[in-house]
Amino acid sequence: MLVRVQGGGAAPVAVSDRTAAAAAAAPSGATAADAEVAVARLHEMSSDLRGCAVIAPGGEALAASGELDRWGPAAADLLAAADAAAGGAASQVHVATEDGEAFAVRLGGFAVVAVAERFTLASLILFDMRTVLRDLARAAGA
Amino acid sequence: MSPKPHRAVIERVSGYADEAAAYLRRRRTTRRPFARVYVAGGHGASHRPETEPGRELFLAAARLIDVAREDRDDDG
Repeated sequence: MLVRVQGGGAAPVAVSDRTAAAAAAAPSGATAADAEVAVARLHEMSSDLRGCAVIAPGGEALAASGELDRWGPAAADLLAAADAAAGGAASQVHVATEDGEAFAVRLGGFAVVAVAERFTLASLILFDMRTVLRDLARAAGA
Repeated sequence: MSPKPHRAVIERVSGYADEAAAYLRRRRTTRRPFARVYVAGGHGASHRPETEPGRELFLAAARLIDVAREDRDDDG
């Protein structure tokens, strides 16, 4: 699996360069490296997962299972639509369509957005997303 | 004559598996697209695609699903 991480505003970098890029780019502590670990862990835990991205408190995509410049705006759109629907900050979103299911969870300032197969067990995906977000928030606070 | 104990266990497990399969079949045929948004505290609301917030949620979700599909296509 190819995990992309935020490279200090530059183009996304591949997983082979991740350690150096994450160390250089991490805005607070080891956030970018932790985000990359979170993406990898989510893929490991959730067999129905098609892809996911970790969004920083500032709104930028820290890591994704694909191209950051594609995941970042799409994730921001979903979070913005959820906030508009909720009339404030949404903590969790689940949209089930004919083509697949989209999820977003916010916790501790971070957010994870994910796309899963249709008819996936939402509670399991959401549990996994909250688990990695808790670890991420803990690492950012450390 | 009573069945062997291990056979009783296997039949019970098979029964549960059949129930679960039937539940998933029903779920597949009856479920329609939906969008649910929750706020802190656990309060949530469903948004139908005919409403403006619902339309935006479905459009954003469709874009995200497309991104995941493009990534999968790129990977080969």
